[in-house]
Amino acid sequence: MEESVMESDPVEMSGPGPHQGVADAWETVTAALVSPGNSLSEQSLSDSLSLLCSQGLGQLLGDWLLETLQMRLSSFVVPEFWSGLKQPENELEERDRIWVLLFAFRTLLERLEPFLGGLDRLRMWQDEGRGGLCVPGAKVLQERAFTVIRALLLFSPSPVLQERVLEFYSRTLSVYMHQEGGDEDGPEVPEVPEGGVCLGCGVPTHHCWCQEALKQLQELSHILSKLQLLEWVSSEAVTSILHKLIEQRMEQHCRGEYERSFLLEFQEWLELVLGWLSKVFASEADGATSAAEVSMTLSAPSGLSSQAGQPASSILKQWRCYMHQFFCRIYVNMRIEELFSIIRDFPESKAAIEDLKFCLERTNQRQQLLTSLKSAFESRLLHPGVHTSDILTVYISAIKALRELDPSMVILQVACQPIRKYLRTREDTVRQIVAGLTGDAEGCTDLASELSRGDPVTLEMQDSDEEGNNPEDWTPDPTDAVPDKMGSKRRSSDIISLLVSIYGSKDIFIDEYRAVLADRLLHQLNYNTAREIRNVELLKLRFGESHMHYCEVMLKDMADSRRINSNIREEESRLSDEEQPPLSLSAIILSSEFWPPLKEEKLELPPLICQAMEAYTHRYEKLKAMRTLSWKPHLGSVTLDVELEDRVLTNLTVSPIHAAIILHFQEKSSWTLEELSGKLGAPKELVHRKLALWQQHGVLREEAGGRYYVVETGSSKEKLERGMMLIDSDEERDSNTTTQSEQREEKLQLFWAYIQAMLTNLDSMTLDRIHSMLRMFVATGPVVTEMDVNELEAFLQKKVREHQLMVSAGVYRLPKSN
Amino acid sequence: MASQNMDPAAAAASSTAALKGSESGGSATKGSVSKRLQQELMTLMMSGDKGISAFPESDNLFKWVGTIDGAQGTVYEGLRYRLSLEFPAGYPYQAPRVKFVTACFHPNVDDQGFICLDILKDKWSALYDVRSILLSIQSLLGEPNNESPLNTAAAELWEDQDAFKAHLHATFQK
Repeated sequence: MEESVMESDPVEMSGPGPHQGVADAWETVTAALVSPGNSLSEQSLSDSLSLLCSQGLGQLLGDWLLETLQMRLSSFVVPEFWSGLKQPENELEERDRIWVLLFAFRTLLERLEPFLGGLDRLRMWQDEGRGGLCVPGAKVLQERAFTVIRALLLFSPSPVLQERVLEFYSRTLSVYMHQEGGDEDGPEVPEVPEGGVCLGCGVPTHHCWCQEALKQLQELSHILSKLQLLEWVSSEAVTSILHKLIEQRMEQHCRGEYERSFLLEFQEWLELVLGWLSKVFASEADGATSAAEVSMTLSAPSGLSSQAGQPASSILKQWRCYMHQFFCRIYVNMRIEELFSIIRDFPESKAAIEDLKFCLERTNQRQQLLTSLKSAFESRLLHPGVHTSDILTVYISAIKALRELDPSMVILQVACQPIRKYLRTREDTVRQIVAGLTGDAEGCTDLASELSRGDPVTLEMQDSDEEGNNPEDWTPDPTDAVPDKMGSKRRSSDIISLLVSIYGSKDIFIDEYRAVLADRLLHQLNYNTAREIRNVELLKLRFGESHMHYCEVMLKDMADSRRINSNIREEESRLSDEEQPPLSLSAIILSSEFWPPLKEEKLELPPLICQAMEAYTHRYEKLKAMRTLSWKPHLGSVTLDVELEDRVLTNLTVSPIHAAIILHFQEKSSWTLEELSGKLGAPKELVHRKLALWQQHGVLREEAGGRYYVVETGSSKEKLERGMMLIDSDEERDSNTTTQSEQREEKLQLFWAYIQAMLTNLDSMTLDRIHSMLRMFVATGPVVTEMDVNELEAFLQKKVREHQLMVSAGVYRLPKSN
Repeated sequence: MASQNMDPAAAAASSTAALKGSESGGSATKGSVSKRLQQELMTLMMSGDKGISAFPESDNLFKWVGTIDGAQGTVYEGLRYRLSLEFPAGYPYQAPRVKFVTACFHPNVDDQGFICLDILKDKWSALYDVRSILLSIQSLLGEPNNESPLNTAAAELWEDQDAFKAHLHATFQK
């Protein structure tokens, strides 16, 4: 077989007659090179070699060998290999396909073995110095031969090879994993029953070919490593198998499971897989040692060949790194997808966060995480369907979770920016936060506990000497940090500071808290302030003493009122029976300067109550010289009994206007809406609304012509539960203090007065000048808070649009008309 | 009246001076004067009076610019006068110095803009404030005190309202 090819080469070498001896020697030597088995004696071989060498032909031997190898490969071996692989087109069992694969490689090896052997021999001869043979670069020859093989074989690889290899490897992996860690993967089937399916090779157990598969694996690995094809043929398949496997396992075990850590578990499992890898790359070591020497001595310029020549252990090491990399990447990908749910579940999902943190440090996916989390927030949280308190709850969880994930707080800061921005647009944000702080909110108790946590962070954190920080511990910001003037030091992770800073000013929160506090104090009539005192003290730690001053005064008002009340009571009790006041009245006395503005509502109370109030005022004036009381008749609550002909409603707690209405019915049993409205000095709509309560109770009924009558004898269905707090539904959320928007309007009105005055007197001013003048001269207080320059500009522009102001070249002036 | 014009802080300081020595009295007084002026400004802003207005000239709270519009039904109707107000450190126990910046033809205003008004001189009381001063001056425009004129020509012309008005409007310079 070989001769037919070999003839072509020596023809031109041998030339005409005189060199017949040389031609014979060439024949002898080349034949010995590629087919060592023949009977040629050592002596004649040596003679032929030295003859060739003397003719200067020795160095051509190597080239000839390569040339021949190349010819044979391209004309015969490679086509044979590929057709052998594809030959039985389809309809094959898995085992047969594997056999075909193996057979193709076996044939390949068989075909190439003579040449590889020839190369070895050539080198051997040279090493022995036989016949003075000197082939320059003989050691490179081997490398070149392998390169030629690779190049020709894999020049146009058919997908069949990859498919087959992949299939084969997957099978052996499953066999291996089944044998090594069988109990781990299939705990539900500890012992395969007779006639069942072998978990390794997926056929009935009595046909199990697990052992055979492993042997085949060994053989294939051996062939591939011998031909130095292992890296080229297997890597891709192994990589994709590992990827798929890790992904699968993660889907099965980790998805949706945040409460335990998977790192160790996967570590162990990966070690197991590594065992299989060591089988795949097993025989590389033996086959490659010689090649390794070659590449090392040559300090091979091609990185790949040196890689192929590395000892098995270092290859395994490399694969272990790859595997960890795969694992981290796949894990991070999955967790990024799930991050929103992880955050939502936070304290429970701590394990997942820690795992993610570990893996994220090893992959460069922070940007991906940020983008994904941001869009998750936007699509799942920040839309009108979500209640503000829920947004806050998630935000708080996010703060907690992300400060675990990234102690530099950069992720927190960047990812939560949309939440903060969105919360600013919700009107009830402040109220919800304050409710959370005071423990009023149903859902989130986090804030209240956060508030009472020891070691609070004061909101005015000094950026100077933070003695606790060791300069050695300093770490630079991650590169994706948002450059801002705050710097990492002041990037806070304190939940309350973060929430309060949503609006950039804590005054808003203090004002809101004051409103809430006022409401609470006014709604309860027992002067019990223990809980409020505690809250105020805690808030003082956060916001500083000075900001909570107003609240302290409010609480003191309560204590004073209680004292004054008991004083007045005592005085009353000393009176004789006929002088006793007709009803017991207790008052809460507010220092009006310090309380938030209370809702003004006109209400004239019946004379009976007015008298009681006057008497109270009188006693107060005696008690506190130079002071008097100005009553807010619409605030407060009244406890009363309603006695009717056949029934008594006792212990009803209602608002003053309700009480006033029913009291009027005492003197006259029927009233029209107009009459009542006139008596009470309150608008008809309001009276009408309030009448509804008594109608519900069956005490009053409305008849044609808008007259209301007392129902003296009621039917039995109007039995009432006693002592319940009766407040009609539309009033439930009513607050005694003015709303934020009312306060804002008031503030703007005041600012406008100042602006008008300064422009009247100083003619024209720039925006900055106006702003600084306002800052200087408007006394800010509980209602009037500072206005930042952008807000002011918007306000001025509005006035310009309304023609109340003129602006040219940035200078504002009043229109001439007045 | 006299008792109201006594600075209680100063009085207290002088009486206790023998015991403690008065060190930081001055600056404390100044702080409280600022506070008072700020309060007065607020009152003025909130009152919403038509035709009178005043505002600190710059960042100095002790120097204000005032504006008075001539009251309706008087010869000064339609004329706008600018004034300057300077508050002494002893304010409100000492009267502020108030004068017209816009030239004002009026029996009780001289050509330098000085105003002859009792509450700015001997009748001053700490109970007055910027608002009451401006209101007084506004009403003085319509009801001059011809008994003690600073501008005798104006006082003589006052009897003939039409002539006065014609002269006033002819000579008015913004």
